[in-house]
Amino acid sequence: MKQVVIHPERCVGCMQCMVACATAHSKTKSLPGALGESPLPKPRIHLGTGLYREGFPNRCRHCDPAPCMMVCLPGAIYREEVGNTVLINGEKCINCATCAMACPFGVIRYHEDSLGPPGKAIAVKCDNCIDRRARGQVPACVEVCKCGALTFEEPSSSFKRKTDEMARRVSAGAEERAEVASPGFVLMNVLKRAQVELSGREA
Amino acid sequence: MSDKTKKFEKYTITRDGQLMLGKAEQEQIETVWDRFEDQLPQCGYCEMGLSCRNCAMGPCRVDPFGEGPQKGVCGADADIIVARNFGRMIAAGAASHSDHGRDLVEVLEKVSQGKAPGYKINDSEKLMRVAAEYGVATEGKDALTVAGELSYAMQEDYGTRKKGIQLISRVPPKRLKVWEKLGIIPRGIDRETSEMMHRTHMGVDNDWLNLLLQGMRNALSDGWGGSLIATEVSDILFGTPKPVSSTVNIGVLKEDHVNILVHGHNPVVSEMICRAAEDNELVRLAREKGAKGINLAGLCCTGNELLMRHGVPMAGNHLMTELVLMTGAVEMILVDYQCIMPSLGHVAKCFHTRMISTSDKAKFPGMDHREFHPENAAQLARELVKEAVENFTNRNPDRVYIPVDPVQCMAGFSVEAILGALGGSPAPLIDALKAGKIRGAAGIVGCNNPKIRQDYGHVTLAKRLIENDILVLDTGCASVATAKAGLKVPEAIRLAGPGLKEVCGALGIPPVLHVGSCVDNVRIMVLAAALANTLGTDISDLPLAGAAPEWYSEKAVSIGVYVVASGIFTVLGPTPPITGSAKVVNMATAGLNDAVGACFAVEPDPEKAAVLIRRHIEKKRKGLGLSSIEV
Repeated sequence: MKQVVIHPERCVGCMQCMVACATAHSKTKSLPGALGESPLPKPRIHLGTGLYREGFPNRCRHCDPAPCMMVCLPGAIYREEVGNTVLINGEKCINCATCAMACPFGVIRYHEDSLGPPGKAIAVKCDNCIDRRARGQVPACVEVCKCGALTFEEPSSSFKRKTDEMARRVSAGAEERAEVASPGFVLMNVLKRAQVELSGREA
Repeated sequence: MSDKTKKFEKYTITRDGQLMLGKAEQEQIETVWDRFEDQLPQCGYCEMGLSCRNCAMGPCRVDPFGEGPQKGVCGADADIIVARNFGRMIAAGAASHSDHGRDLVEVLEKVSQGKAPGYKINDSEKLMRVAAEYGVATEGKDALTVAGELSYAMQEDYGTRKKGIQLISRVPPKRLKVWEKLGIIPRGIDRETSEMMHRTHMGVDNDWLNLLLQGMRNALSDGWGGSLIATEVSDILFGTPKPVSSTVNIGVLKEDHVNILVHGHNPVVSEMICRAAEDNELVRLAREKGAKGINLAGLCCTGNELLMRHGVPMAGNHLMTELVLMTGAVEMILVDYQCIMPSLGHVAKCFHTRMISTSDKAKFPGMDHREFHPENAAQLARELVKEAVENFTNRNPDRVYIPVDPVQCMAGFSVEAILGALGGSPAPLIDALKAGKIRGAAGIVGCNNPKIRQDYGHVTLAKRLIENDILVLDTGCASVATAKAGLKVPEAIRLAGPGLKEVCGALGIPPVLHVGSCVDNVRIMVLAAALANTLGTDISDLPLAGAAPEWYSEKAVSIGVYVVASGIFTVLGPTPPITGSAKVVNMATAGLNDAVGACFAVEPDPEKAAVLIRRHIEKKRKGLGLSSIEV
């Protein structure tokens, strides 16, 4: 079954996934329309900042067993078996934050949600774009990610790619013809890292 | 306070900056560093120059990893998009300097017409000299007539009627031939910027190399056009700087005085404020209000303009402009344009400080707009200084916090002043270079940038260069940084190598010379051209280098490009947004050597940048047949 796979080494930190996620979870499903809605839709994928100012797209892993599900006292969190997606029933949610405490990845937020019960703050997180999937679309974050940091694929194909990459790296003479997917991106990150490291030096 | 400010050491090496950041945190006032953190991570497409929003078929971006889209909707690939974006940065920078220059030319014109009360010709000798360069007949004419004719001739430089702008006449013939061969002699100041914008419109210039060539021509229209006119006319109107002593850092504010700050770039406004602040009647009013007097200080480049010409104290560079408000001791800040953070009006609202915008082309949230024109400037300046004085009684003495003492500095090193210190000709400098006492000279220029610990780049690089007998000339925020670090006093020769120590010691000058504001980078270019002309060589043959260790602005991009196109190797601290194109990176960091005899390097670490510069200078020395050492 296809899943959203994160490739952090490819994240350029553009935050387009956040904008697309919020739009996909709006009432109008369009960016200009979404900006006029109340409450404003919010993203369920969040970009973190690494030690060297690089981006990291952080989203729900839909764990199995899911710690959030196990600790949810009113039983608002459940698993949708077909897509193996952990979902939250906003009507049942009591906004107690226990799931957020249990979540090892910090991906659960609390707010009134465009698509949830009106006037009530609830736990909100990634739903694997279950509505878009039903319409035959890929998750919004994946669709908008043009640099391959988020892909929607069989985990086995992703694993195979990684395995082959590793294998090529240990081939005889690999150092001489090392493959770098984007020398420009590597160069930029080396320079950014140097900038950060200067901050800790004796002046 | 020291434990509390420890964490701010990663933001700035300056003690006043660290202490004021502590105050900002205590008062919960947001600063530029907070907003920088909020922006992280920054968009990689934009950082690499790979996003394009030049047209409405887009916006587009190119996947640097090669799997996603490799072309914009129009078909532009990474090389074209990067070159177009870089070209537009140059255009914006050149436009900024050149428009600043135009405002000065307009004042010069109004002075000649007697329509600018308060302004006058301050250096008529320089007026006559520059007028002669422009082919204006000066004999038997009074200064005002010549000023009118010169302003007209300079306005022609902005237009499209000429084959080449006038002041390339100062460029060594060998350099002009290089430009001629490449087709990059700037024809008109506005023309090159306008053409750059045209070329980067969808469907015009789609050859990345051709775009970069126009980028160089556009930058040269700034370096030998708009900026140079700005500097020369400023000298004519307000006086050519001479060595002067002053003080620097946040400690220049005085607890018992009315404190007025000027911030921005053009001396047109700050000069009038400077005069009004000395008005006896207003000083008397300040005493009546309980202050001991009026204390005027500068920020950024308009501060540098006043420091260079009048020794007005300097409160700080770019990243200090919010923090200076936290002293609670500023009655008024008057701003004109460029590098004025739109946050300032909000910060000022936390205090009694009044913020005044003065230019029709630069309005800001939270500021009172009081527009200056040559006709009303003297009168308006007086009114505003009076209002600042009246605001003194609104100051809350319990909130005043000026935690450091100011540092001494010397400024005022115009080309005329440097040559004056050398006895009227560049010969002694050339002798010192030949003898190897001075290995070479480097210009350290440019801004502050929250990506780089404030002043660390400027100060570290300057120290490493002077200890290796390389004379440093600096401008803009860089010059304020080294002044705060105490490198701009004659005694700083103790930090210099033996040769530089001997030369500067004999002349009584610091080893790091304050050459002026950021338009005044042209003073370094003019000096370089004069040295090359004296030696009958090209600028690119000289043991010179440039550096912009903490640059942030589009103006700095234009400066960097005109410096390199003029033949001077330049090291950048922050990375320009070009890493999306290997071709553009290779051209900027190597290929340009073949074209213009100089190129860029990117090196955030000033220790390593110093090595690059020393190595380059020794290589150039060897090329001239002078003694050289392995670095």
